Parts: sequence; C-alpha cells; structure tokens
Amino acid sequence: MGSSQWPMGTRLRSWRRLWPWLALIAALAAVRWSKGAAFSDAYALLSRPFWPGSAQREWLQSSGNLELQARLQLLQQDNDRLRGLLDLDRNSEKDKRVSAAVISRRTEGWWQQLELGQGSAAGIAPGDAVMGPGGLLGRVQSVTPATSRVRLLTAPGSQVGVWVARTQQHGLLVGLGTSHPQLRFLDKDVKARPGDLVSTSPASTLLPPNLPVAVIQSINGRAVPAPDALVQLVASPEAIDWVQVQTR
Amino acid sequence: MARLHQQPICVASALLVPLLTLATPGWLTLSGVAPSWSILWLLPWSLVDGPVSGTIAAACLGLVLDGLGGSGLTQLPVLMLLGWWWGRLGRRGRPIERSLNLGLLAWIGTMLLGLSFWLQWRVLSGLDAPLFQHWAWRQCLLQALITALLAPMLASWQLLIWRRRAPA
Repeated sequence: MGSSQWPMGTRLRSWRRLWPWLALIAALAAVRWSKGAAFSDAYALLSRPFWPGSAQREWLQSSGNLELQARLQLLQQDNDRLRGLLDLDRNSEKDKRVSAAVISRRTEGWWQQLELGQGSAAGIAPGDAVMGPGGLLGRVQSVTPATSRVRLLTAPGSQVGVWVARTQQHGLLVGLGTSHPQLRFLDKDVKARPGDLVSTSPASTLLPPNLPVAVIQSINGRAVPAPDALVQLVASPEAIDWVQVQTR
Repeated sequence: MARLHQQPICVASALLVPLLTLATPGWLTLSGVAPSWSILWLLPWSLVDGPVSGTIAAACLGLVLDGLGGSGLTQLPVLMLLGWWWGRLGRRGRPIERSLNLGLLAWIGTMLLGLSFWLQWRVLSGLDAPLFQHWAWRQCLLQALITALLAPMLASWQLLIWRRRAPA
C-alpha cells in the first residue's frame, strides 16, 4: 500500500500554523463589522485620565440660555401658526439630555466625526441629536456601551432637513467637508437673506424641532435647480470639549 | 532571529495605529489634517518583513481602520497594494534607508490612499458631483505632506529597531 503524498502529520502541522492567522483575520473582521467598538471602548478607558475637565461643561450649560432664548422665539412663532391645527405627538420637555465629553475629534478629512465618552449605557442611541453651545452639531452614528460616534453636520455627505423660520422655507443642509455646509433650498423663490437663522424643522420627527443650527452667510441665487446658500454653524465642533446628546 | 510577525511586541505595535488615529494629537497636524498613521506604520513593516506579511498586515489594519471610519469609504485595497509593493521593494536591491526615499514612498502611498478615497467619494456622491472638490484635494495634499515629513523620522527609527530584531 503506497503512502499518501501529504502525510497526515504535515497537514496537521500546516493547519496548526495557519489557524492563529485565520483566528486573527476573523477577529479583525469582527472589529470591522462592529465598527471598531472594542477599539473605541479601549480608547475611552485608556484616555479617561485625560478627558476634559468640568469647566467647559458648566460653561456649556450656562450658554444654553442663549440657545433657549432663540428656541423660545421660534417656538412662539411656531405655536401661533400651528396651535389647534397640528398634533405632532412630540413633547420636547420629555426629551432627556446627556452631557458627554469629546474624547476624540476628527473635524478635518474624510471622516468628520467625534467620539463621545458616553454610550448606550447612558441611554444614547443612533440617530440622537448632538448639541454644542448654541446649536446642533450632528447626529449619533453608532454607539458602544461606553462611547458614541457622532457624524458632524460638516461631514461630506451629511444631510439634514432644516427650516428658515423667518421665511418659513424648508431646505436641506448638506456637508461639504469644509466648515461651511451648504443649504440647498427646495423652492426656487427664496426670500432668505444673509443673517437669517436656520433651525431644525418644527415638524421634524428625526431631530428635536426648532433647534438652532446655523446662520446664512451668503446666498447663490443662480444655482440650479434651486438657489443654495453657505451657512456658518452656530456650534463649532473644533473647540468643543463637552456636548449634550438629546436622547429619545 | 524570528521574523517580525513572529514577535508579539512587534505585532502589538500595530495597536498604536488605531489609537493614534483616534487620539489625533493636535500638535502633529498640518492645518488640522493628521498624518496617515497606517502608512507610517506599514511602510517600515513591509520593507523589513516582506510582501506577504506586508499585505496581511495591511489587510488587518484596513479592517480595523475601516471600522473606525463611518462613511462607507474603505482603505483596505490600497493599503494591501502598498503592503505588497513596499514588501517587494524591501526584498530586492539595497535596503531603503535614506530619508528622501522613505519620505517619497510615504508621500506616494498617502497620495494613492487619498486618491482612492476621492474616487470612492465621487462614486458614492454621484458622478455629477464637482470634479475638483477643493476640500478633498486639500485633505489629500496636506495629509501626504505631513506624512512624508514625518516618515523620515518615524519610519527610519522603526526600520532601525525592526531590522535589529529581524535581520535579513
């Protein structure tokens, strides 16, 4: 009886050499599939001693007054218009805000995102609105138990429906990769002008209604199919150490 | 002495790449653009450990970094290509040590990475999107520049250490 060309011992040895690499590839695929959850949590754990102090957190809370004033004005106008006509089944008072430290920040480049030091354990879920002093910064993209990843409004491809309260016109805020997102109006006849406040739509169900977002800087009336505008965000992500996440 | 991929401490050094990507030290950026840490780690690794190890290491790094990014763009194919190419360069001819060579290889690698992102971004956002999105080119050029400037310092230091641990 002739012996096999690949004896069992050789096969076993090659398998023994190979399986740690297969296990490594499988583990890394799991990291990819979980969107780097283990790395985010490990990074949060390692960087915890270096997290920003509470001074800016208090400043953020006090600066909320400005935001509340703007919101109050918008809500008043909104209330006059909609009173008795619309039931959105949504009470912003019921919403809860969670303060979270910014533990990693990528505000330039292909991925414009923040990593926050609070996650699903604090009640944060994907899609929650994230606010800095004065206004909306972005939305939660993914969460781990201890961290959340926020996609900024400035990120390329980010799209959020917004509302110009003074002219009562809807638009789409599109991230361009720069610090000035583009506001694409849906109407051809645009009455907005530089200086107008852009907020989330009063009828928004994805984001908290009437949240200040940006101020119009310049309008391009010649754009097709509808005019567009460049806006300056109210809350700048470059210098924020603490944010608030509005949970649903 | 064992090859690089057989030395746990050398393999573990790859963990610095995702951690540095997350930390993004502000004092190591150029106009807010951080260097490509994956290129800075992969270049000396591939030069020392060869094309197969370079490709596998690039695949591992690419999987992790794609997980940390979130907009559907991938750097895996370009990193694997670079790992293979740099591995072959390291196996042929005289060892690459000069600062200019390391800087140039890092610059080419980062530009290829940036161009692949730009191409993917154009496909994702529709081919009718403007061809010269200035933010994309700015990001590409600045990242290539800061990576090429850091490569002679960091990569030559890594080469020195790793060549001592795994002589050819």
